[in-house]
Amino acid sequence: MTTLVTGGSKCGKSGYAEKIFDHIYVRKLYVATMKPYGEEAYAAIERHRKMREGKGFETIEKYTDIHEIPLTDNCAVLLECMGNLCANEMFCGDTVIDPTEKIVKGVYDLSRIAGEMVIVTNQVGSDGVDYAEETAEYIRILGEINRRIAEFADNVIECVYGIPVLLKGVLPC
Amino acid sequence: MILITGGAAQGKLKFVMEHFRPKETINGADCVLSIPKNAECVINYHELIKRLMHENADTAVFTKKFCTENQNAVIIMNEIGGGIIPIEKSEREWRENVGKCGCIIAEKADTVIRITCGIPAVIKGKLT
Repeated sequence: MTTLVTGGSKCGKSGYAEKIFDHIYVRKLYVATMKPYGEEAYAAIERHRKMREGKGFETIEKYTDIHEIPLTDNCAVLLECMGNLCANEMFCGDTVIDPTEKIVKGVYDLSRIAGEMVIVTNQVGSDGVDYAEETAEYIRILGEINRRIAEFADNVIECVYGIPVLLKGVLPC
Repeated sequence: MILITGGAAQGKLKFVMEHFRPKETINGADCVLSIPKNAECVINYHELIKRLMHENADTAVFTKKFCTENQNAVIIMNEIGGGIIPIEKSEREWRENVGKCGCIIAEKADTVIRITCGIPAVIKGKLT
């Protein structure tokens, strides 16, 4: 099963995504895409680490190039989150690059090997603010990545203040 | 407890006024900053959070206590997290606190309704 979990900031996405893994007893991998730069990033990483504590996840820190993650058959993968991965890929060099194809293929390929894959992403296009070109491009690209993953995902769920709202497929929990 | 959420200007207040017909509403944007007891309806809870933050109050602690003391309240609170991370630190912190407190209220609420374009979608419990 491939499940895409989306929603705004601090809407309970991670908590819900982790809950899906509560009754999975194969090897569980947590792919962390957030670069630990700055005090707030450290705080967020620490908060998420505490949330996962005792749940049996192996953590892999992978900020770009998720296709390089060596997976074994029949494992469960939680990727968190697409918003960071997309930004890391886009802004890693001198010029902004469009990582849509690379990321979508990466997620698709991983999801075919893993028995269970959950991708946590972000809704970033709903504040109605006019941003500078690079940020507008980020909103557009992340939106497209979300749509493309939603196409092949079995389930798509939006979290609203911790409540899972089903958009496609079934609620895994 | 009933939580009504959704983006700005989606018709949340209109829905509450027509459906629940509260006699009195407490407006989080300008009410006194103490925890109400047995309130019928609290609107703009997300604004209340911003005002509590200006007073350096712990918004999660406030919200937990608020939920205990207002178990029959209808609460209106905007969804504000669906955009780009704000550059301003205080805006980021507000967004985080609104998210956190929204999750607390939604968990305790019997019913959660999300209004989009004036249309209510019951996302938890039942609308009675």
